[in-house]
Amino acid sequence: MKTLEATGLRKSYGDRVALDGVSLSVDRGEIVGLLGPNGAGKTTTLSILATLLEPDSGSVRVAGLSPQNDREALRRKLGYVPQAIALYPTLSALQNLELFARIHGAGKRQAATASAHALEAVGLAPRAHDSVSILSGGMKRRLNLACAMVHQPEILLLDEPTVGVDPQSRERILATVKSAAEAGAAIVYSTHYMEEIERICGRALLIDYGRVVAQGTVAELITLGGRHPRMEIAFQDRPATGWSAEIGGVSEVPHARSDGKIDLELASLTQVSEILERIRAAGGRVIEFNVHSPNLSDAFIALTGHALREDAPGGR
Amino acid sequence: MLRAIRLIFLNEFRLLAKDRVGLAMLLLAPVVIIAVAGFSLGNIYGARPSAHAYYLPVIDQDHGQVAQAIVKALKREPAVNLAVVPSLAEARTIVGSRNRAPLAILIPAGTTAALKAGGTARIVLYVDPIKRLEVAAIELRLSRMCAEITARAQDDARARMAAAGAELQSRLARIAAQAAAAQHAGEQYRKESLLRRDAAEHELEVQLGRAIANLETQTRAAAERAAAATKTELENALAPRRAAMTAVRDYLLALQSSERGFDRWLADLKTAAGSHSGDIPPPPAFPPPPTPAQLAELSKPLVIAITAPALPPHEIPKLSIEKMAVPPLAIPDFSAEIKSLSPAAAPNFPGALDWTERSVGGGPAQVNAFDQYVPGFGVTFLLIGMLMGFSLGLIDERDWGTLARLRVSGAPLSGTLIGKLLSRFVIGLAQMVLLFAIGWWMFGISLGPEPLMLLVPSAAIAFAAAAFGLIIACIARSHDSVMPFGAVVSMAMSAIGGCWWPIDFEPAWMRELALWLPTTWTMQSFNDLMIRGLPASAIVRPTIMTVGLGFAYLIAGIAAASWIYD
Repeated sequence: MKTLEATGLRKSYGDRVALDGVSLSVDRGEIVGLLGPNGAGKTTTLSILATLLEPDSGSVRVAGLSPQNDREALRRKLGYVPQAIALYPTLSALQNLELFARIHGAGKRQAATASAHALEAVGLAPRAHDSVSILSGGMKRRLNLACAMVHQPEILLLDEPTVGVDPQSRERILATVKSAAEAGAAIVYSTHYMEEIERICGRALLIDYGRVVAQGTVAELITLGGRHPRMEIAFQDRPATGWSAEIGGVSEVPHARSDGKIDLELASLTQVSEILERIRAAGGRVIEFNVHSPNLSDAFIALTGHALREDAPGGR
Repeated sequence: MLRAIRLIFLNEFRLLAKDRVGLAMLLLAPVVIIAVAGFSLGNIYGARPSAHAYYLPVIDQDHGQVAQAIVKALKREPAVNLAVVPSLAEARTIVGSRNRAPLAILIPAGTTAALKAGGTARIVLYVDPIKRLEVAAIELRLSRMCAEITARAQDDARARMAAAGAELQSRLARIAAQAAAAQHAGEQYRKESLLRRDAAEHELEVQLGRAIANLETQTRAAAERAAAATKTELENALAPRRAAMTAVRDYLLALQSSERGFDRWLADLKTAAGSHSGDIPPPPAFPPPPTPAQLAELSKPLVIAITAPALPPHEIPKLSIEKMAVPPLAIPDFSAEIKSLSPAAAPNFPGALDWTERSVGGGPAQVNAFDQYVPGFGVTFLLIGMLMGFSLGLIDERDWGTLARLRVSGAPLSGTLIGKLLSRFVIGLAQMVLLFAIGWWMFGISLGPEPLMLLVPSAAIAFAAAAFGLIIACIARSHDSVMPFGAVVSMAMSAIGGCWWPIDFEPAWMRELALWLPTTWTMQSFNDLMIRGLPASAIVRPTIMTVGLGFAYLIAGIAAASWIYD
C-alpha cells in the first residue's frame, strides 16, 4: 500500500476545469515532484491532498485513511507547506513552531524540543527568538518549511517552497526536504523550477491544464524531450527567413516564446559554430546563446508545446 | 513620466470600479452615518418626534377644577394619548414597560384649593430619566398648559377684581363726601374750643391771684411769731454761758496781775543774786494775754436780730373753675362702609400652576451624561475592537495562510473560530470592566444598586460583539473592506441601539429596527441598572435578547465562515 495515493482527481471552478483526472502515488522515503507552469493545477492538487479542498470526483487515501471518513487522523499525518508564508508575523520563530507543534498534539515540553530540532534543521536556531516580521524572505521560507515538519509527519506536501528565496536558503530547503525523505517521509514537491525536480525527486509528474501529461522517473521524463542537444539563442537582429534550412540535422523547436528567443535541436554539438556563422551571414546578430543536454523543460515543451515558465491560460 | 501618471490615474479608477465594497463605502458610509445621526438627533433641532402619540398616564387625586382643566388640556393635545389611572403604582408600571410612555402625571389632592388660595399648586411628573427627549417634549407641553391654565384663572380673577374695583370706587366716593363733612365739623369745633379755652384761662388767673395774696399774709404772721419765740429761747440758753465767761475774764485779769508781780519778783531775785544773777536761768515766757477789748467781749450780752422768712402756704386753696360746655362734633358714621371694604369681600388672585419632576424608578430624575456615554461608547469601541481583533485577524490569517495551516494541523475551522471567539469575548469583557472602572473613577458614573450585575450585560455584549465580528469577517472578505464596512455597521448599530444618545431620541421606525440589535438590549440593561436604579431582575429579558442575538450571529457566522473559509 502506498503511503499516499490519489486517483482520478477532478476539480472545476465554474466552467473552468482546474484538475482533470490527476492520479499519483507516493511511497515512504520517496519525493515525487509536481512540475508545471503557474496555473497548471499544482496548488489545487496539493490542496486536495492536504484536505483543504474537496475534489469533485476522485479519491485520496493517506496511509490507508480517507479524508471523508478519517479527516482528523489523516491530517495528523500530514505536513503542509503552503505557497504563502503561513506564519504569525508578530510571533517569534520558536513561538510559531511551538504553536503548530502543540496544535498537532505535542505536549509543552515535547513541542519545545521538536521546535528546537526543527530550527536546527533549517539553520534558524540563532534566530529562534526573533520576530518573524524581521526575518529575511529566505529565512521565512525556511521557517515555513520547519513549521510543516515540526511534528515529523509521514507525508509532507510542499507547494513551491523556494519561491523568491536566495540561493543559500534554497540549498538549505532542498537539503532539509531530502533529509526528511531519508527519514522516511513521503513527499510531494510542487514547483515550476525543473532544476529542483531533477536534483531531489525520484519521480515527477508533468502537469499542464490540470492534466498529467507525463509521469515517471526524472530520467524517463527527460528522454521525452529528445536525445539531442539543444541550443537557445537570443537575437539583437533576427536573421533572414530560411537561414537554417541548409544546416543538416538542425531544426527549430516549434513553440511560441514570448521572449523572442528560439530553441534549436542539434544533431551534434559541433554544429554550434556553423549555426552562429549562418546567422551572421543571414544578417542576424546574436546577443547570447546557450547549449544544453535535453532536460525536463525540453520534455515539457515537447509534450505541451509551451515552456514551463509561461503561465497556463486560465490556470489557478 | 506624464504617460505613467496618466496610466496610474486611470488605473486607480479601474481598481476602484472593481472594488465594489470600497466604491459603496465611498458613498454609503457617510450616507449611513448622516442618516442615522440625522434621524436620531433630528428631534434635538425641533423635528416632529413621530406620528405616534405619547402614552401619558394621569393620576387625579385632586378631582377639582384644576385637575379637570389639566385633563381637558392634555386631551386636546394631538401628540398625547391620555389615560387616567387610579394609582401611582399602575402609572409607574406603564412608564416602565411602554416605549412611548416617558412620564406619568400626578395631580395631588388640594391642587385646585391651593391655586384658588393664591398659592403655587405643583403637579408631580414621574419621569423615566432615560427618555429625556420625550420627557422634555411633554414638559414643554405641560409648561405651556400650566401657563395657559394659570393665565385663564388669572384672567377670571382679573375680571372679578375689575368689577370689585368699580364697586370700591363708588364706595370710596361716598366715604370721601362723608370725610369732607367731617372735616368741616372739625373746623367749627376747633374755633369754639379756642374761645372757651381763653375764658377758662382768665378765670384761672383771677382765682390764682386771690389764693397767692391770702397765702402771703398767713405766712408773714407765722414767721414773726416763730422769730420771737426763737429769740427768747436763745437768750435763756446763753445766760449761764455769759456768767462763765465773766469768771474766765476775771481769772485772766488776775493772771495778768500775777505776771507783773512775777516780773518784779524776778528782778528782785537777780538783784539779790548779785554776781550770780547770770547763773539764774531765764523763766518760762508767759503767753501774751488777750486784749482788754477782747476780754470785754466775753461778757458782752448776745443780741440777735431774727428776720421772719416768707413761708409758702402749706395748703393750696381749692380752685373752682366753671366747666366748659363741649360742643357736639358732627362726624359721619364710616363703619358700615369700612366693613364693606373688609379683605374677606375682596376676590383672591390665583397662584401659579407648576410642576416638579421625580424619577419613576426612584433614582435621580437628572442623569449624569457619562452614565449614558461610558457604557454607550464602551459598546461602540467593543464592536470596533472586535472588527480590529477578530474580523481583521481572521482575514489576515486567511491571507497569511495560517488558517489553512491550522486546519491541516488538525485544528478544524469551527475550533479555530470558537477559540478566537472565546479569547475576544474575554478581552471584550475586560475592556468593558476597565471602561466602567475608569468611568467611575474619572466621571463619577453610577454603578447602580448592584454594581456586579453590570458584568451580565457586559458579558452578553462581549459575546454578541465577538459573533458580530465573525459576521463582518464573512461579509467584508478583504482586509481593506473590513474597516470601512465594519466601522459603518458598528457605528450604525451603536447609534441606532442607543449607545450615543438615548434611544428615545429616535423615531419610531428606528426603534423598531433597534429591537434586532444587541446594542439596544445591552444599553437597556445598562440604563436600567445605572440610571433607572432598577434591580437585577430588570435585565433578565434584555440579557436574554442580547445573548439570543449573539447566538443567531454565531450560528450564521460559523455557517458562512465554513462556506467561505473552509
